[in-house]
Amino acid sequence: MPELVVKNLKKQFGDNTVLHDNTFTIKDGEFFTLLGPSGCGKSTTLNCIAGLERPTGGSITVDGTTFVDQERGTFLPPEERNLGMVFQSYALWPHMTIAKNLALPLDIRKVGKARQKELIHDALDKVGLADLSDRYPHQLSGGQQQRVALARALVYSPTMLLLDEPLSNLDAKLREQARAWLKRLQEELGITTVYVTHDQDEALALSDRIAVMSGGRMLQVADPHAVYERPATPEVAAFVGRCNFFQGKVEESSGARHTIRLDANDGVVVVEADLETSPGQGITVAIRPERLEVVPAGAETPGANRLDTEVLTSSYVGSHYEYDVRLGNQVVQVESQRPGLAGRVQLVFEAGSALLYAEKVALSQEERDLLTVS
Amino acid sequence: MATMITTPPASQDQKPEFRAPRYRRPLGVGRDQLTMGGVLAVLAILVLAPVVPTLWQSVVDRPLYEDGGVLTLEGYRALFTDSGFGEVIRNTLIFASLTTALSIMIAVPMAVVVVRTRLPGGRMVALAMQWPFFISSLILGFGWILMYGPAGFVSTQVEQLFGTVPWNLYSIPGMAVTEAVALAPIAYVFCANALRQSDASLESAAQVCGAGPARILFQVVVPMLRPPVVYSSILIFSMSVETLSVPLLYGQPVNISVFSTFLYKNGLQAVDPDYTVLGAASVVILLVTISLVALQAKLLKDSARFVSVRGKATRPRKLELGWVKWVSVAFIAFYVVFGALIPILGLVFRSFTLIFTPLRNPFDFLTMDNYATVFQFESYRQSIINSLVVAGVGSVLVSALAVMAVMVARRSTFRFGRLVEYLALIPQSVPGIIIGIGFFWAFAFAPFGAGTLLQGTLGALVIAFGLRALPSAFGSVAPSIMQIGAELDNAARVSGADWLMTFFRVLRVLITPAFAGALVLTFVIMLKEYSPAVFLSSADSNILGTTMLELWAQGRTGSVAALATVQIAITAAFVALAGLLMKGKHHA
Repeated sequence: MPELVVKNLKKQFGDNTVLHDNTFTIKDGEFFTLLGPSGCGKSTTLNCIAGLERPTGGSITVDGTTFVDQERGTFLPPEERNLGMVFQSYALWPHMTIAKNLALPLDIRKVGKARQKELIHDALDKVGLADLSDRYPHQLSGGQQQRVALARALVYSPTMLLLDEPLSNLDAKLREQARAWLKRLQEELGITTVYVTHDQDEALALSDRIAVMSGGRMLQVADPHAVYERPATPEVAAFVGRCNFFQGKVEESSGARHTIRLDANDGVVVVEADLETSPGQGITVAIRPERLEVVPAGAETPGANRLDTEVLTSSYVGSHYEYDVRLGNQVVQVESQRPGLAGRVQLVFEAGSALLYAEKVALSQEERDLLTVS
Repeated sequence: MATMITTPPASQDQKPEFRAPRYRRPLGVGRDQLTMGGVLAVLAILVLAPVVPTLWQSVVDRPLYEDGGVLTLEGYRALFTDSGFGEVIRNTLIFASLTTALSIMIAVPMAVVVVRTRLPGGRMVALAMQWPFFISSLILGFGWILMYGPAGFVSTQVEQLFGTVPWNLYSIPGMAVTEAVALAPIAYVFCANALRQSDASLESAAQVCGAGPARILFQVVVPMLRPPVVYSSILIFSMSVETLSVPLLYGQPVNISVFSTFLYKNGLQAVDPDYTVLGAASVVILLVTISLVALQAKLLKDSARFVSVRGKATRPRKLELGWVKWVSVAFIAFYVVFGALIPILGLVFRSFTLIFTPLRNPFDFLTMDNYATVFQFESYRQSIINSLVVAGVGSVLVSALAVMAVMVARRSTFRFGRLVEYLALIPQSVPGIIIGIGFFWAFAFAPFGAGTLLQGTLGALVIAFGLRALPSAFGSVAPSIMQIGAELDNAARVSGADWLMTFFRVLRVLITPAFAGALVLTFVIMLKEYSPAVFLSSADSNILGTTMLELWAQGRTGSVAALATVQIAITAAFVALAGLLMKGKHHA
């Protein structure tokens, strides 16, 4: 069954390396997502799988069929890979009806007219648009076009489905519905799917596994739960969900328990994490806003760590409150159900809620400016 | 959206019904690669055919078609010592500089006034500035001589009134004025586009700061024009370096030679042309024009940084000029009426009369005789038909070649795509007369007698004119094709179509309007073209331009006027018809 094996995939444009030796495997029937900010190499990776771009190094094989192997100089052009692909712009051919759009790949595969008709009807039925087959693409709404594009990618039963940000052109409400629908369809068809997106919610909701990419490297390949709960690097933590980062120094560590003095306010916190540390070592503590709690100063709340802070701003966003609090010279973001806090408060979190990274977090100048208070 | 999924997952466990299509690739070369390689080969042959023999001829001591040639640099030595080429270089430089300066002086104020101020009839002017598209500079030259030449209609009138004519058309300044009138619209279009695209809020900002209309014009608007002015200056300079018409008509009688007329005289009119010197001169001129175009390409690349284009089109605000606007209107009217309208209308009128002088009332001599002559004589009639055939066949071939070249250069992964683009654009820098000379030698040089087969036929003209028109065709097709999203190709590729099938099944229909546009453009260009033909035409393959030149030399002005009118009429009818057809298609 189709299993995609990518080895040492590399792509360079002149001196500019956009993919650095990435190796990964996509299992049969898996929904695999490439997630990352724009320019991280996720679309390039997808285009290499599709054959629209030729990598500079490495190999891609599916089921023993070599798509590309730069060492041996083999390259299978996209038309011979038998893949289905949906593009961001849907790329429906504007001068053909919906039925003609679906018929073209079948024509190329020399399918008889009668069989074509059945297949086209089935495929359009799958996406709920069987009655629109004589329309032209411009007569359809964005959501309908997106479903036609999916039907066109599926009508010839390709070995694999490639989706390049297929939902990003839909408006927010429709996007959520389309997401749930796509998930059901993929589960039902059981087709191996590679999905590219910059939207973390989409990635978390849809995927069996996610590859988080940045700067042409795969930072972490794991299931959604692991990506969110145990991000491999601070960068992953910052990109998937929000995260506060504190620089500090290890005072003491015994097994998984580490005592850390924070640079921001000279306070001491205890963090539980699987990381080898030694006293005096510089370290980064990462905590998601929803794992922090703010309580009025002096309230008796359980929690391993308590830090004295002061509310800078509070905003009501419907489902919860968001507080920006000051910790020394640093701004900390907190999500809370507690309304109306102001002035001096305490920041509380469990030792197990925080993440620990040996590397320093590289913030951009702009982020640093926004997160620093005098 | 939520009512989806009714079919049970039936096909899941079946063996896949279809396999990916397979395309045959003997020796690893499929039909895609063959096509792309073919386009590259055709372009390379087309471009190199006139250039290589020219280079070769410049260093061989006898004509290419004679045996026993010996390598020599004598041609270059002779060129720079005793052929009067120094004088030619000086004349060309003065002529081109003067033309450039005058064109810019006409175009810049006109663009600023038309685009950026409230001007009565502004749209009319924008439309009127397209006239050189319809009228070749050869015809304009005829018209100017008829009107402002030593014995011209206007000159004679002025002489009667004032006793003297304060200008001399048959001089370098005279040539430059005429050429500038013909080329000013190019600079106008560049400046006007730049002005339309620039951000109107820049001016609003100046206004909010308290600047008046005049200050805004001179301190904000005009300085922004520097890139288009520089760019169009170089373009006009290189076009006047290579132009043949005006220098030939004005310079010949008084022995003023520039690059193109030097080649014309030494190649065609010399009793025993020294081909080595001719080759050397062609190479020198080619070097000049190629470096000019290279400079222009480099500047255009950089100038993209200056253009202040925003995604949102801001409608330029128009400034109120007061009394100055009437001065502007008078200036523009003067240019259009005296530069283009009077000479052209005069020429058309001349075709309907026997005698054309203010001394006698020309209306007394109205006649259709000029047309009768033109249509009665087989060779004149033939030249009209030849022009139509060359433009008709040539425009189809060139537009098709341009579409393929754009597809390979911009829409394929062909490793020599950039080379294809360069090859398609290079002919822009090769003067028409050198293309003529080059192909003349190439045909003499070609293996298997292919040359003699083409020599002197309409086929030779189609090839040479086609090469001249190729850069324009490429330039007109490329943006239209680039507007078609690349994802449409990619979708076809992934679903199983190779590059050729993608082109024929998906893109062909979408490209049709671009092809039609290129067709109209190249038809008009090739109908006006004649300079390569002066070396390539035989008695049987004369076209409108060469016939007019011949008749002009014989002093048969009436017939020239009639042929010129025919050429203008054909162009206008063709463009009108094409416009109608394309409009109809849009509505369908």
